[in-house]
Amino acid sequence: MSCPKESKLVAIVDDDDAVRGTLQGLLRSAGFSSKAFESAEEFLGSDYQRETACLITDIRMPGISGLELQARLNAARCRIPTIFITAHGDEEMRFQALRAGAVEFLPKPFDDEVLIETVRAALDR
Amino acid sequence: MSNLDNIKRNPGPAASAALRYGLALASVVAALGLASAFQYFHLPQTFGAFALSAIAITFWYAGTAPGIFAAVLSSIVRDFLFEPNTSAESRILFDLVFLVFALLMTRVARMRNQLELRVAERTAELTQLNDNLKCEITKHKQVEAELRLSEAYLAEAQRLSHTGSWAWSPPPGDIRYWSEECYRVQGFDPKGGQPRFEEFLQRVHPEDQARIVEVIDRAVREKEDFEFDYRIVHPNGEIRDARSIGHPILNPSGGLVEYVGTIIDVTDRRQAEMERKRLHEAQADLAHASRMTTMGELTASLAHEVNQPITAAVNGASACVRWLTRDDPDVREAREAASGVIRNAKRAADIINRIRSLSKKGESKRQFADVNGLIRDIVALLRNEANRYSISIHTDLGADLPKVMVDSVQVQQVMMNLIMNSIDAMKEVEQRRELAIQTRRADDSQLLISIRDTGVGLPPQHKEQIFDAFFTTKPDGIGMGLRISRTIIESHGGRLWATGEDSQGACFNCTLPIPLEKPDKTTADNTNG
Repeated sequence: MSCPKESKLVAIVDDDDAVRGTLQGLLRSAGFSSKAFESAEEFLGSDYQRETACLITDIRMPGISGLELQARLNAARCRIPTIFITAHGDEEMRFQALRAGAVEFLPKPFDDEVLIETVRAALDR
Repeated sequence: MSNLDNIKRNPGPAASAALRYGLALASVVAALGLASAFQYFHLPQTFGAFALSAIAITFWYAGTAPGIFAAVLSSIVRDFLFEPNTSAESRILFDLVFLVFALLMTRVARMRNQLELRVAERTAELTQLNDNLKCEITKHKQVEAELRLSEAYLAEAQRLSHTGSWAWSPPPGDIRYWSEECYRVQGFDPKGGQPRFEEFLQRVHPEDQARIVEVIDRAVREKEDFEFDYRIVHPNGEIRDARSIGHPILNPSGGLVEYVGTIIDVTDRRQAEMERKRLHEAQADLAHASRMTTMGELTASLAHEVNQPITAAVNGASACVRWLTRDDPDVREAREAASGVIRNAKRAADIINRIRSLSKKGESKRQFADVNGLIRDIVALLRNEANRYSISIHTDLGADLPKVMVDSVQVQQVMMNLIMNSIDAMKEVEQRRELAIQTRRADDSQLLISIRDTGVGLPPQHKEQIFDAFFTTKPDGIGMGLRISRTIIESHGGRLWATGEDSQGACFNCTLPIPLEKPDKTTADNTNG
C-alpha cells in the first residue's frame, strides 16, 4: 500500500449518517473535497486510501474501531494524517491515539475552526 | 277399577253352589227339627214360621236359586210331614204364602246385592282416593325434601359468597325476610329474631347512615332499584365493608309491594384488591428501579447517542455560517445546512424524550403498540453501547405485524435487559460479535421476538436458573434483570425463555399475545411517546 501525497482528498469514517453528512458539508463550505465511509472496513476495502491526504475518523464504531484502523494503516506503512473525533474520549485514549501518530483528537461536538485549521495543516504537510 | 268390574260380574255370595244349596237344605232341616221338637212337647204348630225363617236365611246368605229351592223344599215337607190331611185349599194357601214370601225375598236379596254393589263401588272409589292421597303425600314429601336440600345449598352458597338475601316492605311495613347470612354479615344473633329496619340502620357506620336513608328514600319514591356501599359496625367494634342491592316488586296496578335484595360482605374482596394493587405497585417500583440501574450503566452510551445529532447540528450550523460569511455568500447551501440543523436538533430531542420516557416512573399503561417500532427505538439507544464492544446489531423485523396491547416502557425495558445481557455475554469473546434481533408472527395468537447472540452461551443447567431472582453470573450483577423481564412479559400474557447451546451463544425468546380486538384510530398511533 503506498500513499501518494499529491491528493487533497479528505476521507471521513463515521457510522453515524448525520455526523458523516454534516461533516462533509462543513468541509465543502471550507472548500475541501471529501469522501465519506460508514465503516473502517468500507474505507480499507476501497481504493481511496492512496488518494487520501487526511483522514477524519470516529473512534467507536461497530466492527473495526478508529484506533484499530489507524493501527492497520500504520502496519501497512500508510501514514495518513489522522484526526480522531469522539464523543467520549478519555485521556488514555487520547494519549494512545496521539502516540500512534494522530494529528488531533477532537471531542464531539467540535469547534469548526479547530477542525478546519487542523485539516488544512494536514493537507499542507 | 278391575276390583269394581269383578264385583259387578258376581253379585251373589261368593260361596260354591254346593254350599249354597246345602245351606237351603240345612236350614229347612233345622226348621223341620225345631217344628218336630215343638210338636213333641205339644206346643203350638210352628213349622210355617220356622220354614219362612229358613227361606229368609237361605235367600239372604245363599242367594235367589237356593232360596227358591228352600221354599219348594219347605212346601213339600209341610205337605207331607206336618199336615198330610189338610184340604187342597189350605195347602194352596200355604204354598201361596211361601211363593209370595219367596218373591219378596228375591226382591230383598236383589236390593241387598245392589246395595252391596254400591258399597263396593263406593269403597273402591274411596280406596282410589286414598291411594291418590298417599301418592300426593309422598310427592309432597319428596318436594319438601328437595326444597330443604335446595335451601341448604342456597344457604351454603350465601355463606361462601358472604351474600345474604332479604325482603323488606317500605314504611309502614318492615323487614319481612332476613336470610341466615344476613344475620352473619350484619352481625346479628339469629336467636334474637328478625331485626327491624331501625336495628339494621343502627349497625351501619354513623357516617354512612344518612346517605343510605337518602338512597333508599329516593328509590322507594321512584319505585326504582337501589345499590349502595356502606360500612357495618359489628357489636365487637369490627368494621366490615358491605354492599346492598334492592329491587322493587310491584303489583299489577304498579303499586310497590316490597323490595327484595342482597347484602354482600365485600371486605375480603376489597382487601384482596388492595393487596393486588400494592403488589402491582411494588412490581412497578422494582421494574422502575431496575430500569434506572440499567440506564445508569448506560449513561455514557446514552450521552453519546444524544451527542451524535448535536454534533451533526453544530456541524450544520458551522457550515451555514461559513456559506453566509463567504466573500460570495451561497444562500442555497446555507439553507440546506440550516435545515440539517433543524433535523438533527429534533433527532436529539427525540432521543432525550425516549430516555426520559424510559426513566419516568408512571402508572403502567397498556396501549396498542408496534413491537418493531419499540425495538427500533431501543436499538437506537443501545447502538453506541454495542459499538463500544465492536458488536454489530442486525434486525430482521417481520413486516405487517399486528399491534399488541402492551406497556411500551416495560416491553422496552425487557428488550433493553436482553440486549444488555447479550452485549455482556459477547464482551469477552474473540470470535465475531453479532446480535440478531428477529420478530415474527409465531401463530394466530402471538408474536415471537428472539434475540440471539454469539456470546459465551448458557450452560444447560442455567437455562431456567437465570430467571431466578438474585441469580447472576456477572461479577457486578444483582440478578434481577431477567427475573423482572419475565415478570413483565408474563403480566402481558406472554412467555420468556432461553435456548441455545453452551458456548454457541444464547437465544432469548419472548412471546406477546395478539389481541382479539383491533386498535381503533384513537389508540393506534402511540408507538413512541
